[in-house]
Amino acid sequence: MSRTEIIGKLKEILLAADDRNRDKVLACTEDSRLVADLGFSSVSMLYMVIAIEEEMDIRFENVGASDFETLGDVVNYIEAKLK
Amino acid sequence: MEQKRTNRAKLFSPRYLVYDFVKATASLPGLIWMRPRWIYETEAAKKRIRGGALLIANHYGFFDPVYLMFAVWYRRHHFICGQEFFESKFRWLFKQFLCIPVDRKNFNFGSLREITDELKSGSLVSIFPEGHIHDDGGNLGAFKSGPVLIALQGKVPIVPVYVRPKAHFWNRVTFVIGEPIDLVKRYGKRPPMSEIDAIAEELHRKEEALKQIAYQKRR
Repeated sequence: MSRTEIIGKLKEILLAADDRNRDKVLACTEDSRLVADLGFSSVSMLYMVIAIEEEMDIRFENVGASDFETLGDVVNYIEAKLK
Repeated sequence: MEQKRTNRAKLFSPRYLVYDFVKATASLPGLIWMRPRWIYETEAAKKRIRGGALLIANHYGFFDPVYLMFAVWYRRHHFICGQEFFESKFRWLFKQFLCIPVDRKNFNFGSLREITDELKSGSLVSIFPEGHIHDDGGNLGAFKSGPVLIALQGKVPIVPVYVRPKAHFWNRVTFVIGEPIDLVKRYGKRPPMSEIDAIAEELHRKEEALKQIAYQKRR
């Protein structure tokens, strides 16, 4: 799966998770900060991780919510896990 | 048949030795000191909690975990507590009391798995949705959405409990046990975040209702 495909999938997950900030999610890039730009809370971060684990069949291990500052960090982690 | 075998193994596990010993020896002094009174929200709430469940309660003081152990006395409680307790010299004790550490500053996703694994294996996990001790003249603090997500992920019901502590030493401690709420049945496996936040608010209202019951009845 390429980085663009991962971002596309992530956007799908985020839109299904919370459509309250739909415009922000649609416009987000790899540099978008999860908390400051996309308005993530620790619970929505957990929600995203659960959804990613189920949809992409990967496991987040030995990482915490604050290890991911931007969407790009999440993409990097997924990319490394999918290799 | 298989279910029976699992229960028996749990009953005699060395993992619970310290927990069960302390519980057995402290029960009588605890009962004399608290003179607890149980109030059930409905007839359905009187039914004993079997299998995995997430117990939520108000967090008024440091002794709340002890109160909860008396409120649902027939089950072992796995308490979710801050990582900082596990970094103290009492680490061993917290472990023996089946506490599950959670880093509040940087929530580790492994902790969520540990909690949901306990729930899925049929344990009772107890959590304070206010997140910390909230001593505001008896007022409940806002509930965090995390417990809702945990219950959904563990596919277990939430059991709301309100503890009315002693105001004076001659008062009794009152436990109000609410009816279990099956979130998966009601909202599906993974409702959107907006709904999860709404459920957390609903649980807060439920806890307020239990509080009303606790304060309506005479001690």
